[in-house]
Amino acid sequence: MLNVTGLVKTVPGGRTLFERLDLSLARGEFVAVTGESGAGKSTLLNLVAGLDSPDAGSVCIDGTDIAGLDDDGRTRLRRDRIGFVFQAFHVLPHLDLAHNVALPLALQGHDAHASLVAAEAMLASVGLGGRGDAYPRELSGGELQRVAVARALVHRPGLILADEPTGNLDPDTAARTLALFVDQVRHAGAAVLLVTHSTVAASAADRTLVLSPTGLVERG
Amino acid sequence: MRLLRLAVLSLLGFAACGWADDRVAYAPVPKDAPVVLPRDHGAHPNFKTEWWYVTGWLQTKGGPVGFQVTFFRSRLPFDDGNPSRFAARQVVVGHVALADPVVGHLEQGQRLAREGFGLAEAATGDTDVVFGDWRLVRDKEGSFTARAGTARFTLDLHLRPTQPALLQGDRGYSRKGPGQDEASAYFSMPHLAVTGRLTRGARTETIRGEAWLDREWSSNLLNPRSVGWDWAGLNMDDGSAVTVFRVRDAQGHPVWAGGSVRGADGTLTLLGPGDVAFAPRRRWHSPRTGADYPVETTVSVTTPAGTKHFELRPLMDDQEFDTRRTGGPVYWEGAVEVDGGRGYLELVGYGGKVNF
Amino acid sequence: MARPASLSVAHRWLLWSEWRAYPGRALAAVLAIALGVALGFAVHLVNASALGEFDKAMHSVSGSADLEIRSANAFGFDEMLYPRVARLPGLDVSPVVALSALVDDKIQVSLEGVDVLRAGGMGQGASDGGAEGLADFLSGRSVYLSAAALSAAGRKVGDSMTLGANGHAIQVRIAGTLPSRANTNAVTMDIAAAQWRFGMLGRLQRLEIRLAPGIGTAGAMRMIRAVLPPDAIVTDTASEAARNDGLSAAYRVNLDMLALIALLTGGFLVYSAQSLSVARRRAQFALLRVLGMQRKKVLGQVLTEASVLGVVGAGAGVALGLGLASLALNLLGGDLGGGYFHGNAPQLVFAPWAAAIFGLLGVGAAVLGSMVPALAASRILPALAIKNAGDAVDPRVRARPWRAVVCLVGALLASLLPAVGGIALFGYVAMALLLAGGVMLMPWLARALVSPLRHVPLRHVPFRLATARLWGAPSQASVALAGIVASTALTVAMAVMVTSFRGSVERWLGDVLQADVYLIAEGGRGGFDAATLERMRKVPGVAWLGVLKETPLQFDARRPAVTLLARTLTGPGGHLALMGSRITVPAGATAVWVSEPASRIYHWKPGDTLTLPLPGSPKARVAGVWRDYARQHGAIVMDEGTYARLTGDRSRTSVSVLLAPGANSDTVVAGLRSAVGPGGGGVTVSRPQDIRRQALEAFDRSFLITYLLEGIAVCVGLAGVAATIGAQVLSRIREFGMLRHVGALRGDLVRMLLIEGALLGLVGGIAGVALGVAMSQVLIHVVNPQSFHWTMDTLLPWPLLGWVIAGLAVATSGTALVVGRSVLSADAVRAVREDW
Repeated sequence: MLNVTGLVKTVPGGRTLFERLDLSLARGEFVAVTGESGAGKSTLLNLVAGLDSPDAGSVCIDGTDIAGLDDDGRTRLRRDRIGFVFQAFHVLPHLDLAHNVALPLALQGHDAHASLVAAEAMLASVGLGGRGDAYPRELSGGELQRVAVARALVHRPGLILADEPTGNLDPDTAARTLALFVDQVRHAGAAVLLVTHSTVAASAADRTLVLSPTGLVERG
Repeated sequence: MRLLRLAVLSLLGFAACGWADDRVAYAPVPKDAPVVLPRDHGAHPNFKTEWWYVTGWLQTKGGPVGFQVTFFRSRLPFDDGNPSRFAARQVVVGHVALADPVVGHLEQGQRLAREGFGLAEAATGDTDVVFGDWRLVRDKEGSFTARAGTARFTLDLHLRPTQPALLQGDRGYSRKGPGQDEASAYFSMPHLAVTGRLTRGARTETIRGEAWLDREWSSNLLNPRSVGWDWAGLNMDDGSAVTVFRVRDAQGHPVWAGGSVRGADGTLTLLGPGDVAFAPRRRWHSPRTGADYPVETTVSVTTPAGTKHFELRPLMDDQEFDTRRTGGPVYWEGAVEVDGGRGYLELVGYGGKVNF
Repeated sequence: MARPASLSVAHRWLLWSEWRAYPGRALAAVLAIALGVALGFAVHLVNASALGEFDKAMHSVSGSADLEIRSANAFGFDEMLYPRVARLPGLDVSPVVALSALVDDKIQVSLEGVDVLRAGGMGQGASDGGAEGLADFLSGRSVYLSAAALSAAGRKVGDSMTLGANGHAIQVRIAGTLPSRANTNAVTMDIAAAQWRFGMLGRLQRLEIRLAPGIGTAGAMRMIRAVLPPDAIVTDTASEAARNDGLSAAYRVNLDMLALIALLTGGFLVYSAQSLSVARRRAQFALLRVLGMQRKKVLGQVLTEASVLGVVGAGAGVALGLGLASLALNLLGGDLGGGYFHGNAPQLVFAPWAAAIFGLLGVGAAVLGSMVPALAASRILPALAIKNAGDAVDPRVRARPWRAVVCLVGALLASLLPAVGGIALFGYVAMALLLAGGVMLMPWLARALVSPLRHVPLRHVPFRLATARLWGAPSQASVALAGIVASTALTVAMAVMVTSFRGSVERWLGDVLQADVYLIAEGGRGGFDAATLERMRKVPGVAWLGVLKETPLQFDARRPAVTLLARTLTGPGGHLALMGSRITVPAGATAVWVSEPASRIYHWKPGDTLTLPLPGSPKARVAGVWRDYARQHGAIVMDEGTYARLTGDRSRTSVSVLLAPGANSDTVVAGLRSAVGPGGGGVTVSRPQDIRRQALEAFDRSFLITYLLEGIAVCVGLAGVAATIGAQVLSRIREFGMLRHVGALRGDLVRMLLIEGALLGLVGGIAGVALGVAMSQVLIHVVNPQSFHWTMDTLLPWPLLGWVIAGLAVATSGTALVVGRSVLSADAVRAVREDW
């Protein structure tokens, strides 16, 4: 599914985030990455998503080396194969929930009706059934994150990249949301690369890796 | 005679004039020898109307052509004493036409202006008529220089008299109608030898030919009954010259007729109303005006030597001349030939009545 | 999977949601474009309609003549020129006497004496009445009237009427109408009669010339010039057109410039609206990029928004412009109050091409206005932008003013260049460069102006926050400032120019109107003759009487005539206020004083010798230059005694009277009127205050359209400022929430917004006023002298400038406050948890 080999990234100022980092995810595998603040967890996600470029090394998704793609190619790859869940939800405030969730499908070129039907179904599966015409301002943080999860999965991506998806939520909500998230990705059969501080969140993963300047170390 | 000239000025005043004090008292033609030469080559401003009328045949490379160079002077019937140089007292009209069978109709130019500024003037004392770049001048030797043209052609002619002037009527007193004083002072210069140049477009050719000059002035010419007239002047190859005219009424009957025959030896026979007859043989229908002109006419002239018939044949049919732009009528003025001679025929008043 | 119309669905959703969420912004942009297009299109339509009318008038006047020789003055040239020209080969010449005349002492007509006795000249209808009619006509007892003159005089064919010109009057019968001149007030009579009856013996005003086929205009003109005396000029239809065109070209360009400025201001508004919309949606665009929207699709998204706004705005603008134009034509006439065309309002002519062009300009302004922010949006680095919704510019980067400086230097250079074809092209270029340079200078200037405030040792937190933001986020501040500065500068520039102009005109009127009473003879009356003037001098209560004769002099065939003013130059009311250097003319030489426009148009300086196109072509020395705002095409003053000696003309068109102390002006006026003749008709009496009022009214009328456009520019500008500030405040909800979290009171935030807004308004106002004053100097010292040939003294409308700056500060802080309050009331705390 995902193969990262020999990744090197130096941030401006000369500090090396990681030196020759290797990582691979099998189809449907759920991997959590933890590490100290500033260790480069988000940067790792950006590199995997093709939003940032490594100094060396390669990122292959489904056998496609994203270094060989131009910006448009990487954008298409993201659009079709990857779903995102952010710490800060990022839901468009002036679109209703159905449209927000349907956005990836619309961007892929599906017609409006089919996209919205799929989005409603997705919303129902995250427990927001029948609320497609509500606007984000009416929702709580947990609900917003569920919308984000729905959006990440609506186009059936093979890989979900999640960046502290529960970071903005209280522990109870975080737990419920995480459970729903795990349930949904398992159900969808998607591989997940989750970056988090939270040991609770990490515990849901098949395996947990710790990011340090020397690379990724598996934590048992 | 050339009654046409009256029509030129029909607009300019036959009707009674509004103010007695402004009315011009025209001079009458004296009955006793009104023509004195060379003085009378010049203009006569006190008479109502006057003309210098040159017609003739020219030999060109393309064959014979007819031509006409004509100047009219006319005194307006009123004079308010306006001191302006523009004050309209005399009007000058110029006509020029070329009859070329190759063209098939007349090529013509016409001008009208009040006299003045040396631009349009007729001098007294000797022939010197000028109208812009058109002119007719008599030199010391008695020859005439004529120049006139249009955008299409220019005539530069030298006209040399080969015979003395021919005084028409009684020593120049030519009666025109049955009424008292219906007469003009009239003399002709037939058999003028023509040399000169004809310019058409960029091409100038030297030409020769023979012409006829009519000089006539009067204050009272036409009988009120008349609606038109016919005139012809023929230069005969034997050196003789024939002048005939007839004034017609509405029925086509002659109101008056006359003319003269001058032999090569100079003997002059005057013709009276009973001596001249016109018999049309063929008419030409003008597609422009609808008039029917008797372009082939037999003129019979009776002299003491007997009656002679001249079968007039036109150089071409369409020699209609529309002079309405300069105040004249639409009429037929064309080169004609007869057995043993050539000349010009004038037919007026066939396309509806000439408007006086 | 991806179909060709791939992004249309997403595009649509985003467009609609944006406009539904912020309809006011879309509406403002549409309105701005609509206003700009409407003004430009309306001004163009009015111009085109008026010019169409002008062309028609031209054709009916110049008839079918190929060339025309005209007298350079009202006396005409010697008629012996006629035969000289007529003898030139290939010319058909018609002489004309032309006079201004009065029918029945009341209807102004142009009288032409023509020669109908010419081949082709009989078409006039002069032969209608047969010989008697012709005799009447040739003796001047009958005339032909145009239909317009006939109906104006209330006469019919066959009536008798009085025809007066050049001090003579005769009774004439109306013989018929002139079909060729139906729409002008014209009378035709015989040339000789006109010369005799109206004292024009020996003189002609015109020769109309037709060229024979094959004769070229240029060759004929050369030939004619060789025989032409100095008091006559030869013109062809081209120079005629040039002359008439020159009348209004400068004015039209001025109006077009104003219209374009309106369009430009609209473009600015679109720019600021779009760039703020983009700034506000930076994170949204970043998200869309992350979700898989390609870079060019983001660009397309913004440009699609702009073009939809542009099309809607342009469509509305064209319709609005059509309405405005027809309104303006009916209310103001074809010259929009400029006083160039006379007569009826022209018909409105709809111009589909012009509509298309102005519509496209509107769409173009919208698209271009969005292009810069759209490019910025598409270049957003998604990974960075999605985390940081704020200003991407690093506060430590210094603003670079060098591009602005290049523009300003370019403006200076352009203002030094001469006019192009009578149009102050480079003047306008200089103004555009000044505007561009000024706007580009804004980030730098804003920092420079705010910088000292940052170091004010004040513990007032809102103040420090406000200055820090203005200093630290100059690119956002300068977007708002650009709109403020541009609209303020344009408004101030026009205001300063108009104020200076009006002030100079008022001062000039004071100089010119020295007498107590003015009597002006109406046209066609022939003025006051010597005997009348003598009688008027003797009227009791007249302390001093000055006379004036106005008569046109043509120095150049391609320019309108200069006015010769022969006037009394001695005595208490005869002072002529001069500007600049003057010389003393040696005894025996004729002195003339030229007006400023004449001096500029013909490059006459004191000391120059002129050949006056008067009979006898006298020479004269320029003794000085005087200021004149009345005659745009130039005027020359000479002593009336000298004038009488040169021309023999003793008639005078007007007199000015100083009253003896204690004299009753009404009594004196009555005395003067009776001195003119029984009834005292054909005379207008004015007092200086009336003339002054009328002159200033005429001035204000001619600047009405300017005031209108200015007002609209202010409105558009203020709307832009409000929209900009409002959008900026809205985009900072998170910042406010954070400040509330760290303990800022609501009052603190309100104060911060007030201070920010006021500072923004002040900085923009001060910069705008400074830029506007600079631009007004280009208008005053470059555009006006080059277009209209007069200068003026700069007068600054201080109260107005103060109000502009204060008004801007109030408008900006007010908007900031109003929008800020609504934002602060509900969302601030919660906003921290939101992303935008």
